[in-house]
Amino acid sequence: MPEFENFNLKTTIDCKQGAVRAVRYNVDGSYCLSCGSDKKIKLWNPVSGILLKTYGGHADEVTDAAGSCDSSYIVSASLDKSIIYWDVSTGAPVRRLRGHAGGVRCVCFNEDSSVAISGGRDNAVMCWDIRTRRLDPVQVMKEARDCITTVATNENRIYAASLDGCVRTYDIRVGELTCDKVGEPITYLAQTRDEQCLVAGCQDSVVRLLDCETGGLLSEYKGHCGDDYHIECGILANDAHIVTGSSNGDAFVYDLLETKVLQRIRISDNGGVVHSLATHPKRQEMLFARRRDMYVFSTDLEIEEEQL
Amino acid sequence: MDEEEHLHRFGTPLQPLEKDVVPAKKPVGIEDQIVKDENGKRRFHGAFTGGFSAGFWNTVGSLEGWTPQTFKSSRAEKATPRAQLKPEDFMDNEDLGEFGIAPQGIRTRDEFAKEDEQEQRSGQRRRKLMQPELGVGPIPGVPVLEQLLRPVRDKVAVRILKSMGWKPGQGVGPRQTRKEKRQATARNTREQYLLDHYGAEGLPEQTESNGEDSNSEEEDDEDITFAPDDFEPIFYTPKENRFGMSYSGLSRDPILSKSSSSSAKAMQHINLFGQLEEQAKNKQLSIRGQAFGVGAFEEEDEDIYARDDMTRYDFSLADKKPKQKKQQHVQQRHVIDGFSEDKSGAALQKPYAIDLPRDFQARNWLQRKSRFAPMDKERAKKLETATEYKRSGLGRHDFNPDQRAQLLGEEKKEEKPNEEQPKRNPFKDRGKSLLDRINARTEGFTKGGIITESGEEKQTELTKEVKESNAAIQEKAALKTKDLAPATSSSGAFKPFLADEAKQLRYEKYVASKLTDDTEITELLASMQPVTLSLWDREMEKKEFIQAAKIYRPLDGLMNDRFISEGNVQAEKVKEQQKTPEERKIVMERIKTMWKPASLLCKRYNIAEPFGGAMLEPEKELKTKPKISVFDYLETSINTKANFQTPSIIPKHIEKPKPKVVEPPALPPAPPPVTNDPEKPPSKEEPFKFTFVPKTPLEQAVDESRDKPISEKVDLFKCIFDDSDEEETVDQPPEDPAQDKLAALQVALGLPSMSTASAAAHNVLRNTSPPRGIFAALFKPKEEQAPKEPPPPKFAPIEGNKLKIAYKSREERLRNDKELAMAEVPPEDIYGPKLPEAFPQKPVAPEDRTEASIDAKLQQLWHEHAPKKRKVEKWVEKKSISSSEDSDDSSSADSSSSDSSGGKAKRSSKLKKSHKSSSSKKSKKSKLKSKKKSKKAEKSKHKSKKKKSKH
Repeated sequence: MPEFENFNLKTTIDCKQGAVRAVRYNVDGSYCLSCGSDKKIKLWNPVSGILLKTYGGHADEVTDAAGSCDSSYIVSASLDKSIIYWDVSTGAPVRRLRGHAGGVRCVCFNEDSSVAISGGRDNAVMCWDIRTRRLDPVQVMKEARDCITTVATNENRIYAASLDGCVRTYDIRVGELTCDKVGEPITYLAQTRDEQCLVAGCQDSVVRLLDCETGGLLSEYKGHCGDDYHIECGILANDAHIVTGSSNGDAFVYDLLETKVLQRIRISDNGGVVHSLATHPKRQEMLFARRRDMYVFSTDLEIEEEQL
Repeated sequence: MDEEEHLHRFGTPLQPLEKDVVPAKKPVGIEDQIVKDENGKRRFHGAFTGGFSAGFWNTVGSLEGWTPQTFKSSRAEKATPRAQLKPEDFMDNEDLGEFGIAPQGIRTRDEFAKEDEQEQRSGQRRRKLMQPELGVGPIPGVPVLEQLLRPVRDKVAVRILKSMGWKPGQGVGPRQTRKEKRQATARNTREQYLLDHYGAEGLPEQTESNGEDSNSEEEDDEDITFAPDDFEPIFYTPKENRFGMSYSGLSRDPILSKSSSSSAKAMQHINLFGQLEEQAKNKQLSIRGQAFGVGAFEEEDEDIYARDDMTRYDFSLADKKPKQKKQQHVQQRHVIDGFSEDKSGAALQKPYAIDLPRDFQARNWLQRKSRFAPMDKERAKKLETATEYKRSGLGRHDFNPDQRAQLLGEEKKEEKPNEEQPKRNPFKDRGKSLLDRINARTEGFTKGGIITESGEEKQTELTKEVKESNAAIQEKAALKTKDLAPATSSSGAFKPFLADEAKQLRYEKYVASKLTDDTEITELLASMQPVTLSLWDREMEKKEFIQAAKIYRPLDGLMNDRFISEGNVQAEKVKEQQKTPEERKIVMERIKTMWKPASLLCKRYNIAEPFGGAMLEPEKELKTKPKISVFDYLETSINTKANFQTPSIIPKHIEKPKPKVVEPPALPPAPPPVTNDPEKPPSKEEPFKFTFVPKTPLEQAVDESRDKPISEKVDLFKCIFDDSDEEETVDQPPEDPAQDKLAALQVALGLPSMSTASAAAHNVLRNTSPPRGIFAALFKPKEEQAPKEPPPPKFAPIEGNKLKIAYKSREERLRNDKELAMAEVPPEDIYGPKLPEAFPQKPVAPEDRTEASIDAKLQQLWHEHAPKKRKVEKWVEKKSISSSEDSDDSSSADSSSSDSSGGKAKRSSKLKKSHKSSSSKKSKKSKLKSKKKSKKAEKSKHKSKKKKSKH
């Protein structure tokens, strides 16, 4: 268990795309994506803060984006009810997938990026075959009773968190749907790296750690302020720290086991909800989105190491 | 010479003929002479001169002859409206020539032509007789006087006028100044206009305004005078009749006779030439007449418009004419020569004196100059009163809120709003049911009373009236909604079968029963349906009911997963907020259900499909449709392709009865229809059934008693119904034990026929199942009414009791977990998953389910068989799973599931886990378990154990 080191602000990027709806790392954390309310997605170098590419084509705010495992494609979800599959280098939309009856809230790739999974306001989780040109979803899961806020997947499971307070695990291998009812609307869901636990950010300003296997509640992390915002949470690469945004301009880093606040990162003094965040897949590095800006935080040392 | 001297020569002598000149030919004889026209063409002569020499070598006009004119019009060249065709247009040149029928030449005009010339022209030789014959008198030649005296064509009156200084074109009257003339012209035109439009009686009084404004300009030349304009004076005809003003009755003249006024001609036939004459006056000659209207071979038509009149048949021999002439003579005695008396006699008649109402004011209604001009006061008033309702409406909106409140029997609020609501207010009475409250309200409404704070009813004048009207309205409404009324009170206002009252009643009962199981529904309906109903109708009715019930709960059933009632959400919220933080502790709930991943998804995830892809689609057949439209719901009607059965199938089956099959006593006694259950296609499950070998004692018993008459099977039934009460219920709580038993029994009884592995055997096999659907429906009442085969006294009570009890328990259970997923399974799902297209008939689900529960071995067998087979086997698979993991499965849809089967659930979960192939190949990272809570640690231990076991 490495000791906790405080995070420091490395870069602040003004995304210039309206409110930033989501920030995401690519698969190896070398790039990041920001989804704007101006219907565009921007690809950045988080370290230097250089804008690499802008992807425009959505008809409404972009709510989520994910990069493929080879970083050559991006899939993005938008409130225009469609999902767009982008070519990173050309910036052209390769495919536009329509099927949701409501705005799409979240999207992710499976491990080999052959399937895109999306969840939307129509309470549906849809699996899209990216490999073929098929334009209708491979499978639609409509078990949720409210808006899907997050979809996540690993080798054999698909997780869908919904505002109806349930985390639904679709086990493809077993052919089983497990519905873990938390009881509070879940605004975000993150997997631990070991895929044993889920970090669920709940509407009642609590981040909960759920056990995948048993569905038990392992611990709760309180301290931040969620209000009615769609606050995201995450777990750092070392699986030891949980981070969450807050509605009052802060971000909180919790210790996974002791559930205490390790660091309260004051991102901004003049308010603004830190609603979206992304944790670096390898390093102790984080992205935060607040209003129009994207902030890159990192523990100093590692960055230096990298740079060296 | 002398001779010559004696001769006198006159004229010029001909030149002497020269010798060498050949004398001229013989002159051509008359008969040989040829007449040519100016073109050198040969023309007939003589008798033919007068005819139309028909054109171009006796074709008309051109080489083409008489080709009809074609109408042609293009954008550049518009077709000119056809000019009035003159007779000349149809004539040839010769006709216009000197000898033609219409010779043309330059002549003096009529005015200047000499008398004889004119007469010659007009063909009138009238005056010839009067003229002195030429050369008769002493002076030869045309008489001088004749030449001097030209006949004057002017009338005397004109001549007189002319002498008085009148010139043609001028009016008659004293000369006018310019101003006067202008006024006169204005007046005249106006009068003329009015006369034209409204007749004589509509003339208004003259308004002098327009004359005066022009005064100022032309004061200057008073001296210059002008002749008055020539205008037709208004002719006031005295009223001869008592008709209304300007009313002229229907003319008695035939329509075609132009002159409607000339009463003399009234009964004459069409005047052919009257028109011609008139038009000749206008110098527009057009030839019309019967000669041009009737073909050579047609009979001349009668004037169909002429009205027949007796006068036409008045053939009195005595001629009236001389009489008339006499009269004329008599009358004309008093008349100056050259004049004749006016025979109309109008002038002699005295005008009727009309008694006008005292306050009558002559007025022209149509006098408004434009529709924007202000209307006459009275008229405006009249109009207003006539159209008042338009403005004011029907008075519905005239109430103020108070009045309305009074009508509705609402409480007056304004006074003491803070005072607590009276307890006696029927509306607020919590104790009463909603219905009572509604009744109270409507009562108040009908009575029209005001419910005051004290709760009394105050009757006012107004409310009395209202009461009456309301009563009437209510009566009407009651009549109309007579049928609807109970619905509102009982099961909602949806009345799909209003047309058939009995059916509606059945439907209501069905809805009230809240049954979901197919067979149960059938039974229920069978108990209610009349015996006369045909099987087909029964089945249809069942489907209709299910459908209707489904449709009627739009929010409950169809859209439930889409919407959450706001009320619920808020209520929950409030509840949550009321809880103290301690109370709000999260309790995790885990629910596991079957979920079938799409095969492609599995492929993409590089995972083998669970159960080799033979998994049943878990109850979401409907939901997995990618696009949901309203029509999807509509389409799930009775006649969808999926569950549609052609009626023709049924009679075919029914015709061949199978008396051999023995019925279980619980079931209707009539075997033939049961044997031919149309719902049961020979499905693919059957092969498995052939392999059935009796293993348990029960089965053996069944096997033995197969051929026994039903009365001897008491023991078998007994053992079936006696033994398995506890076990079975424990084993499969959601299933209906009675059903299961029945099904088991059926299977057992059906065995003999099963064992024969022929196509016919299939049929027999199917027969053994409990009658479902229409058959159950059909025979249930019979069974109740008249048990044909008297069951053994011992047996009957047992069976009946058991059955009843079982049934009840089932119902109760159903009620308990009403929200069970099972309960909400749409009927399609009950019928099972898709069948292959070749199978038009639907598989019967419940039976399979029940069969599955017969025996554990059976299940195993099933398991073995299931994965290898296709669609239908899929179904079987599900059932088997569901029966083994019943608790999990049934409770999946809802968290409030029955917790009755704890041990079983565990077993099943284990079973499931054994299904799982080890999921994670990569070694999982150690999960900091050591530092975690003890709880966590335990879990992880558990996990590790499991992992070990897996590996």
